[in-house]
Amino acid sequence: MGTATLEASAVDAPGAPRRRKKYGGVNAWLFALPALAVYVVFLVYPAITSLWFSFTDWDGLSPTYNVVGLQNYLAMPKDPVVIQAVINNIIWTIVTIFFPVVIGLALAMLLNGKVRGKPVLRLIFYTPCVLPLVAIASIWGWLYNPQYGAINEFLRAIGLGSLAQPWLGQDSTALAAVMVPAVWLRVGFPMLLYLAALQGINTDMYEAATVDGATKSQQFWHITMPSLRPAHYIVIALSLIDSFKVFDLIYAMTYGGPGTATQVMGTWMYFNVFQYYQAGYGTAIAVVITVVAIAVSIPYVRSQTKEHAV
Amino acid sequence: MTGTYTRRGFLGLSAAAVAASVAACTGGGTAPAPAGGGGSSAPASNNLRVFTYEDNSTIGMFKKQIAKFDAQAGTTTTVDSLPGSGAAVYPDKLRTELLGGKGPDVWRIWGGQIGAPFVKAKQAMDLAPYYQKFGWDSKINTTAIDGMTFDGVKGGAPFIALGIGCWYNKAAFKKAGISGEPKSYAEMEEANDKLVSAGITPAGLGGKYGWDIMRLFEYLLETSAGPELHDKLLTGQETWDRPEVVTAFTNFKKWQDKKWLPDGALGLDPSDVEPWYVQGKTAYTITGPWTEAQAIQAAKKDSADFGVFQLPTDQTPQRHSGFVEGYMINAKTGNPEKSAELIDFILKPETQKALKISASTVAGAEPDPKELPLSYQWSQGPAKQPFYTIQDQAFPKKVADQYFAIQSDLLQGKITPEAAAKQMQSAVSAWAKS
Repeated sequence: MGTATLEASAVDAPGAPRRRKKYGGVNAWLFALPALAVYVVFLVYPAITSLWFSFTDWDGLSPTYNVVGLQNYLAMPKDPVVIQAVINNIIWTIVTIFFPVVIGLALAMLLNGKVRGKPVLRLIFYTPCVLPLVAIASIWGWLYNPQYGAINEFLRAIGLGSLAQPWLGQDSTALAAVMVPAVWLRVGFPMLLYLAALQGINTDMYEAATVDGATKSQQFWHITMPSLRPAHYIVIALSLIDSFKVFDLIYAMTYGGPGTATQVMGTWMYFNVFQYYQAGYGTAIAVVITVVAIAVSIPYVRSQTKEHAV
Repeated sequence: MTGTYTRRGFLGLSAAAVAASVAACTGGGTAPAPAGGGGSSAPASNNLRVFTYEDNSTIGMFKKQIAKFDAQAGTTTTVDSLPGSGAAVYPDKLRTELLGGKGPDVWRIWGGQIGAPFVKAKQAMDLAPYYQKFGWDSKINTTAIDGMTFDGVKGGAPFIALGIGCWYNKAAFKKAGISGEPKSYAEMEEANDKLVSAGITPAGLGGKYGWDIMRLFEYLLETSAGPELHDKLLTGQETWDRPEVVTAFTNFKKWQDKKWLPDGALGLDPSDVEPWYVQGKTAYTITGPWTEAQAIQAAKKDSADFGVFQLPTDQTPQRHSGFVEGYMINAKTGNPEKSAELIDFILKPETQKALKISASTVAGAEPDPKELPLSYQWSQGPAKQPFYTIQDQAFPKKVADQYFAIQSDLLQGKITPEAAAKQMQSAVSAWAKS
């Protein structure tokens, strides 16, 4: 029985002094008012305004605009860059969720065991998460430099010079090259969450399983993984939303190029709103990103709330 | 019942929070739409703010001159600068500031299609009254004024008219056995071959953002198409689907295939690559006179070890790419008079000299031959030649980006020169029609 149900029962019990108000009463709203005001002014209002502009041809600078209905939305499927951006977003989302989660879990398992220098290792693995993205983009930009970058220099040094590439300068490798630092910097977050979750698992279960003859692999799949379910929800839900909003790394490392090879919806929205003076079209792209982010987030949010309510 | 309601409520609020968060990423920048146009002016004040893109090598000199103006005019002027990525980012920041209602009183901007939107949207003031008041028409180069006049509105006061040339490292040329500056396109190619044979990458250009490597293509187009046709191509009066354009694209690809450009040039940042000629990593770059102060002298090198020449086009007249930069005044500034006075102060020959402007539009502000010998040499020679509009100012940003994407596809071998010419035609004609 969830907390909410218990509260409801208590309120309905005979002899209760007075019935609980359906919406919490005036006092509750007064307490919530400052936070709600900030939320409305800085999130709801701009979001609604963006939605409105997505139905206009506003250039983002002029004082006037025309309402064009669904024209901006209908133009999207005909825009080849939108198609490319959607594909890139899907690839980005899959790669930058799968690898950080798997690597983060592996590192957490490692650090949860008997390893020397745990705090130092934890710091090393988590540090990329706190670095500014622009700094990360610059560092990796230098590493990828085709002539003087460390990656190509290393390949040449070990006799694999034929594998040296202009990593960010060709369509075939540019997106993958940007995803590598994305994976690198995202590993620390799931690692920390999984580590905390692992430390909360009762060790008696492993001892009992060992006595019953369960292998390490069986223990992992039947004890560890089910125990990590709440952590999985948090990690995947947040990573999913983060992946759909990707912008900064791509903008700083490739500027959406070469050509439009690394454009994602976030950068294409930015180019339209801020560079092409097509704010109406750009905000329509933003609305689509929002709708997709909500659609993919709801199952996870629902699962999480159910988990807490049971 | 209550439990179910709570979960739904939480779900709804969570969804709304996600929606608001993501949409606010754009809403924050675009939401404050100017209602009704114009808006009320800010109250008169002696506080001014200037927005520019001076870098570390020039910002000190600029602030010093602004302080001098403040002392004379009784103003307090704040200078904000955003150096770095050139025309790719600066106009966005400016636009966001203007829409946020806290735009600068005066800002520096490029001419052509980069400055045009600010004037067309009436964010920048019509400076015609100040042209008259301060006599700018007679002080500033007429061609430069044209570069900041949009639909008949003098939206900016140009202070710089820059030409793009070939800036080279003499030691690299000597090492490759190049005895003199190339006088024809064939000699240019010959020099490139010699440099490659000597183990030196000829042209230091980077394709990130598109505009840097574009300078090579526009040179090749001027060479193959000639002045008259080139100008018509830029305005959409002639089709790009023609042999001269195909030749330019073919040569463009040739420059990469023969390793006359750095490996992976398309992914390189111009701010990293351009100074390579100073460091001896490449033989030359294609850039403007600012490179003498910002690259050569900033690296504590002697200008005498470097040279500059106009890229040979085999055409008459011999032209180079060029563009103007100037200052605009916020249409909503609380102090237009002082803002105009500030611009007039910057346009004075002595201020221009103090700022080491290497290609001033103002008569009597030629660069000092002792301090900037190469810029002076350029000002006395090629700068007097006519120039064609640099292509990222000739086209709106969207068309320019389409153009950069076509160049990128061509260099990667994804399309042929013939297909590139066709694609350019469809991009330019769509814009010209609109």
